[in-house]
Amino acid sequence: MSQGRKGKVNYRCPICFDREWDIDMLYDKEKNEYYCLRCNYIGKEEDILARYQHFKTKYKFMHKRFTLADF
Amino acid sequence: MGRFILNIIHRPELVPEYIDHSAQAGQTEEVSKREVIGESLDIFRLQQEIAHRNGLRTTIQMTYASLFNDEAIGLAKEHHEKFGDEISLTFLGLNCKEFRERYNNKELAIWLFSIEDKRRIVDDLFERFYGIFGFYPTSTGSYYMDAELVRYIKERYPMVKIAVATCFEEGPRVFHNCNNSWYTLLDGGPWTAWIPSKENIHCIAKDEADDIGIVAIPHLSRDLLASVDSPGLFFGTHPQNILRGMVYEGDQIPYMFNLVDQYRALMKQNGGLGYNMVFVGPGWMGKGGRWEAKYELLVKSYEDFLAYYGELKQRGQVIDQTMSEFADTFRSQHAYTEPLCALWRDILYGTDNQVFWYADPHFRVLLEMKQGGAITDLRPYAAQLKRPVGVGTPNLQNACYPYLVQSHYRAGAFTHYAGEGAIKSCKVRYGREEVDLSACRTHASLDTRNGERVLTLEPVTIELNGLTIQVQTIYRFPADSGEIWISRRIVGSSDPAARITVDEYITSCYGTTEYPEDLSGVKLSVQGPDGTIQTMDYAYQCREYSRENAAKVSGLVPQVNSLMSMTPGSEAVTGYVREGYAFAPNLTLGMCKTIGLNEELLTCLRVAKAR
Repeated sequence: MSQGRKGKVNYRCPICFDREWDIDMLYDKEKNEYYCLRCNYIGKEEDILARYQHFKTKYKFMHKRFTLADF
Repeated sequence: MGRFILNIIHRPELVPEYIDHSAQAGQTEEVSKREVIGESLDIFRLQQEIAHRNGLRTTIQMTYASLFNDEAIGLAKEHHEKFGDEISLTFLGLNCKEFRERYNNKELAIWLFSIEDKRRIVDDLFERFYGIFGFYPTSTGSYYMDAELVRYIKERYPMVKIAVATCFEEGPRVFHNCNNSWYTLLDGGPWTAWIPSKENIHCIAKDEADDIGIVAIPHLSRDLLASVDSPGLFFGTHPQNILRGMVYEGDQIPYMFNLVDQYRALMKQNGGLGYNMVFVGPGWMGKGGRWEAKYELLVKSYEDFLAYYGELKQRGQVIDQTMSEFADTFRSQHAYTEPLCALWRDILYGTDNQVFWYADPHFRVLLEMKQGGAITDLRPYAAQLKRPVGVGTPNLQNACYPYLVQSHYRAGAFTHYAGEGAIKSCKVRYGREEVDLSACRTHASLDTRNGERVLTLEPVTIELNGLTIQVQTIYRFPADSGEIWISRRIVGSSDPAARITVDEYITSCYGTTEYPEDLSGVKLSVQGPDGTIQTMDYAYQCREYSRENAAKVSGLVPQVNSLMSMTPGSEAVTGYVREGYAFAPNLTLGMCKTIGLNEELLTCLRVAKAR
């Protein structure tokens, strides 16, 4: 097994992030996958990004620009 | 016309923990590397340039390390002369080579030192600052400063008039967010500027005699709804924190502008004074990026954010002040007993949910309109709990101010098949059915009548045993009274002759975290109309005492030096107190009355210091 290192991008574990926990992942170069030290998540970059995108769906006003009149 | 004041604070940290990659990777403990210092100063310089480019003045908080760095000192002097920036002093960023050599300690949080060390460090920093600049700073700060630390600073350096004293709701939720390793357990304080009590920094001073001598500001202005159930550090006037919370798409972050605008709207709830605080440490704009956000996005987010303030300034809608200037403004406009209010709407999750925060020298309360206006957080400021923190104190890292109600930590309205949660709400009963108003979503409006803040909730419709009724709730907060008057009125009924029982109650406990504390020693009392009092010593035996035509029910919680009571504003009210049991470690005070259409149950909740 290869040594886990910081990846090119310091991704946070998407499963832990769903619980609003910032947990850095390590990168396994041999398997080209990221893994979490806390939970049991493993995944490639594409999966991480897809899960991040899903996380954002709870922010339904993320694209909305309110005006002062809305308050 | 209100005044919306902005404080922008920058600090030349020199060795921010987040950009020292080698130290992060555990390869070396030497964090004062030349390249790190260089990068950090570059970030500080860039932050300053972005502010000045937008016509905004800043407060430069010198860190311990920066007091040993000629370039940082030179920049501060230059920007003070050229732009009118204030040169200030922070206790953040203590950890550096010089500090470790002098104190033989890697501690980074001023509030966690022993009081003896705190005093040494205060003297060291202030005198070092004086030696360099020729004057003492009038502003200072950290993530947290307990009352004991601030009192010492005021005693030694009375010219200090303002400090960054807490981070709003940076308690257990943030602790969990940081993998239980970020020891800023500080929740329970105000969300905006306040004048602290001499006894506890979270508490608002009652009067001049209780005034600790500074204006306190929280670290950042946070989303007052998102912070209720999430780590507030995702949602504040700190663009890179918002990136951390992933509230963005591409390089667009409209949320950060919405946050500013909602704070602008709070002016009309607070005597025309509004406030925002921006405080981004250099570690958040490191060249290596921050988590998945690249450097370019980190910088762009800051540029866009300050450009918006710059635009507002040009339109005359924001006033950029330094910290010390704001201290003068706040003191000139804010009376001790003037409450802080924030009726805040959701700008994040796509709902029309509202929360209402209220704070004065007696308490801080949170009402949630999606729970029928139930009180879901109550902090007894009247108790003025002395809670020094740091090594050698009983509380050590726990700088939170205790709650009497905290629905998110302690279950709230819904629990599992057994037990009860902490909440202040109301139940209505008709026949065999019962509904808790916390199950009825509503909206509220705020106004001021005869010096009282009045929160009027829209009526909610409830179906009970074939009967449909509308119930309206109105909260009144008489100024400087420690009282909250609550009216529950039947304003509509499908059967005008129907009689409905309304049960106003508070289920309470105390603590600072999710874990229960021992309630032994609590005393529950019911006072009858003739003045006789029946008292129960809490022993987890699930007992209940009640009296018809009760004059008062009360709960004394000596562990937090607090006395809660309810008194009726209506006649013929039955009062009761209820003891919990080990699986339901709470106490309940309640008052109920059977009423009909256009009648109300009026009660008063009072929170006072236990005698």
